[in-house]
Amino acid sequence: MSAQPEKARARNAQAKRRSLIVLLILVAITLGYLALDRSADAPGAYRARSVVTTIAILLALVKVRLIFREFMQVRNAPMLLCRLIDLWVAMIGAALLASYYIGLAVH
Amino acid sequence: MTDIAQAEQPEAETKKPARHIPGQPDMWVLVLFEALVFTAYFAVYLFHRSAHSGLFLRSQAYLNPWLGTLDTVLLLTSSMFMLHCVQAARAGVARAAMTNACLTALLGLGFLISKVTEWILLTRTGHGFTSNEFFMYYFFLTGIHLLHLLIGFITLGVIMYQLRSPKRGSREIVETCATYWHTVDLLWILIFSLLYVVR
Repeated sequence: MSAQPEKARARNAQAKRRSLIVLLILVAITLGYLALDRSADAPGAYRARSVVTTIAILLALVKVRLIFREFMQVRNAPMLLCRLIDLWVAMIGAALLASYYIGLAVH
Repeated sequence: MTDIAQAEQPEAETKKPARHIPGQPDMWVLVLFEALVFTAYFAVYLFHRSAHSGLFLRSQAYLNPWLGTLDTVLLLTSSMFMLHCVQAARAGVARAAMTNACLTALLGLGFLISKVTEWILLTRTGHGFTSNEFFMYYFFLTGIHLLHLLIGFITLGVIMYQLRSPKRGSREIVETCATYWHTVDLLWILIFSLLYVVR
């Protein structure tokens, strides 16, 4: 068995391990939502909470960025695409938070 | 076009991968455009939500956060298998790539069943598209997302067709279709947090 396929196999195993860790982080954040969900409400009724909304949106953006970088492999893409994606995620976050807070201020 | 068969050469496997755009750049334009369109939907939803927070909160209580969490975990896991599929296709291991593509499809199907079940449960308790503003947004956003999932199944079919024969196996097409599948996943991440979690 030559050393070259061995190296490729080792790199492949490392990549799989990395993707599994990323998945576990994403699932942990998703389960964290449930804790956030329960802490936000009085028994039997949902309450409006700006802090919960803000945290939920920010956590969603962290997950979206992780998916872009790790699962969509943007981290190995040219710098221009990396920066474009970061800008896009920041823009989505700004638009969502602005809509929510402007809506609160207007109503 | 880079063939999967070409990647079987050991030299190509051991070289450190150069920075490249995964898939065709056109797909990335579509991804960013889709993200922009959905952001507009989400912004309108959040703005209206602030206006009718009482109604939205009362209606939101009818959603099952555990089912939403299950949907999210299914799609996240499918994304991981899609990544493994792309990596295997790059390494020229078509069989492993096909296995991972099948696992991705299976998890996508799980999501589809879970989502349709949730729709049936909601409509049985009298919550339909026209019930109120919250459910109008709920069915619109989840419906349009499900449409994207169905298109995702077509892209999965294209991946499997490419993987069936090393002669036509194009790494670029596999990467392009995978990029679309991941987009379905990341759109759901945002929909889940906006419909199920925000208060």
